[in-house]
Amino acid sequence: MQRKLWIPALCILMVATLAIPAMAAEEIKIGLIYPMTGGAAAEGKELRDGAELALEIANNVRNDLDMAMAKNGGIKSLGGAKVKIIIQDHQGNPQLGADLAKKLIQDEKVVGILGCYHSAVTKTVAAVADRFGVPMINDSSTSPALTKEGYKWFWRTTPHDTIFTQDLFVFLEGLTQGKVRGVKAVDKKELLPVVVACEKTEWGSNVEAAIKEIGKATGFEPQVSILYAAKAPDLSSEVQSLLAPKPGTMLFAGYGADAILMIKTLKSQKAKPRVVWGQNAGFESPEFLSSLGDDVVGILTRTVFSPRVGEVKKVAQQVNDMYRAKTGRDLSGASARAFTAFQTWIYVLEKAGSTKPEDIQKAANEIKIDAAELIVPWAGIKFTTSGVDIGQNELGTGMIGQYQKGKDGKITLEIVYPFELATADMIYPIKGW
Amino acid sequence: MLVCLPLNSASKADIIMDELLLQIVRAVVSGLMMGLVFGLVALGLTIIFGVMDIVNFAHGEFLMIGMYAGLLTATGFKVDPLVGLPVGAVFGFLLGVMCYYGLVRFLLRGPVAAQLFGTFGLMLFLRNLALLIMGADPRSVHQGILVGKSFVLGPDIIIEMTKLAAGILSVVAFISMWWLLNRTRVGMALTATALDAQAARYMGIPTEKMNALAWGLGGATVAMAGALLVNFWPVEPNVGLLFTMIAFATVALGGFGSISGAAVAGLIVGVLINIAPIWDAINLFTGIEGLKGLQIHQFKYSFVYLTYFLIMVFRPRGLFGWKH
Repeated sequence: MQRKLWIPALCILMVATLAIPAMAAEEIKIGLIYPMTGGAAAEGKELRDGAELALEIANNVRNDLDMAMAKNGGIKSLGGAKVKIIIQDHQGNPQLGADLAKKLIQDEKVVGILGCYHSAVTKTVAAVADRFGVPMINDSSTSPALTKEGYKWFWRTTPHDTIFTQDLFVFLEGLTQGKVRGVKAVDKKELLPVVVACEKTEWGSNVEAAIKEIGKATGFEPQVSILYAAKAPDLSSEVQSLLAPKPGTMLFAGYGADAILMIKTLKSQKAKPRVVWGQNAGFESPEFLSSLGDDVVGILTRTVFSPRVGEVKKVAQQVNDMYRAKTGRDLSGASARAFTAFQTWIYVLEKAGSTKPEDIQKAANEIKIDAAELIVPWAGIKFTTSGVDIGQNELGTGMIGQYQKGKDGKITLEIVYPFELATADMIYPIKGW
Repeated sequence: MLVCLPLNSASKADIIMDELLLQIVRAVVSGLMMGLVFGLVALGLTIIFGVMDIVNFAHGEFLMIGMYAGLLTATGFKVDPLVGLPVGAVFGFLLGVMCYYGLVRFLLRGPVAAQLFGTFGLMLFLRNLALLIMGADPRSVHQGILVGKSFVLGPDIIIEMTKLAAGILSVVAFISMWWLLNRTRVGMALTATALDAQAARYMGIPTEKMNALAWGLGGATVAMAGALLVNFWPVEPNVGLLFTMIAFATVALGGFGSISGAAVAGLIVGVLINIAPIWDAINLFTGIEGLKGLQIHQFKYSFVYLTYFLIMVFRPRGLFGWKH
């Protein structure tokens, strides 16, 4: 008799243990892989804060916000399931990134991945996601090569460096044609010669290649072009090579500490360029501004966001206010893009109505998010599904900002490109140091 | 017109040559100044080796601690980073003496392998301790009398104040170290210990104290170099690695145990690192096809390591070495 009771008791126990993960699936886990320590730690915190704010909005109801995800308090099509994020620190190390992705997929059983900022890390993580068939959305890695691998589980919301670099040269040409607000047409000779220095990982070397290619086609071919190690503690020999031809335009791609060091070295070597432009990343980190202070005035950076966007987009203003209340800082290119990519995750899940990878894949390939929903000044989000650039958001656009000192003494990023969105007169030439 | 043409092109070639020469002079000057700092970093390593035949793998970590000492003095007390110099020196001296009495003294009783692994372990310990306390993020000094200042010498040769100060200090340190070792009783006792520790002990020289002094002096010079470096070089727990490698190459080049060797080798190393801009300048002004596109800056430290290798193969005792 007693033995007979054992069997149903065991069955109940087994069902119960199986039921626990089934109930826990109410919570949808997304793995975030970001650089939380190391040279790009400041950007890592920005990215995390941006994604966390989107998470807060998605999991709670905010009726005052004109955004579809602010109305649902969870994923409506999944019975109001809440989303949870698990953050991992890749330290800028591609191998570590790949290991963390495996850990998230196998141990944490995440539904999808978001990350990873460094293109070199995104590359290895995307390869892992593709192998395991787990969807990954990328928010801020801009190496063009990432969407040329033919991955079926990888989507990128941000525009990539070829698009941004084209913007740069349209801007430089605009400068010679008098299209830039507040600047009369500049003689092209003033902007020449062009010199380039980029850090040498996946991202920087691709930027360098793109600048060379597009520069040559537009008559701004770089005279000197240098790749350097992002962890290089000294850049004086590099700067000396850059200054040898007496450059008019200096173009950079650096991650964090190296971007700061570059400007410091330019200053101490008394560089006198007319235009200094950085490809986002290190040139837009909060550290860049806080450690260089007034020395940043006049420097241009490619960006995708400026708090000034709030003047033309109400939703951007509202989200920026929430972000400032939460962190004490304005949204930056990094945090705004992390926010947007996490928002895309929510919309994809909502459209999929399922946590099965195949359903999410289908939803991501079909999704179309309107411009009105976004805080970034893009035409929307829609991923390409054919051609050479698979998984790339085809509706994204770039901006160029310039650090300017306001009347209140505060330094902000004013928009100078696109020309029609300009929020201030451009400072030309850069005052220098 | 026909007569003018060769004249024109000749003067153009002259201008190019002048520009090229100027770039080379700039590279060499900046290399020599960095070289003095590299020499100062290597000085401590060579003192310790010269007196005790011990290779201190934790040398770069002493430098890192000196950099943090300078940085924290400057940021903590809101003073100029230069004030960190004596603080770094005292800190480095104490650290060296502590390491000797706490670790190295015991290692001396073991085989040579124990000495190697012992200081290697010290390196790992100090690096991870710094990681625990200071975190992994690079930090740098942003304000100071010398930070970001420079002046122009002659035709367009730019001298950075921080590097100039580092260079001057390093010359002073070299001269005083030379004077200490060759002109004072303590220095002679140190030299005697270096030449034959047992005989020195029989003569009544407290060799134990001399060893500790060598570690203290080694620590003080390198920590001082660190406190100076932090004026223009960001500090993070792994910063020592690059310097340990360069210091080894410098010491090997100059000869293990040689003070003047370290100074000369430091200068050579500084210039070797600046081969890249010279290469680029030749490339830019002569326009020789085929040179372009070679990203030589990526390999700038390779020249140093290559020289290290060649010296080890062809002249293992270095340029000025006296220990075999």
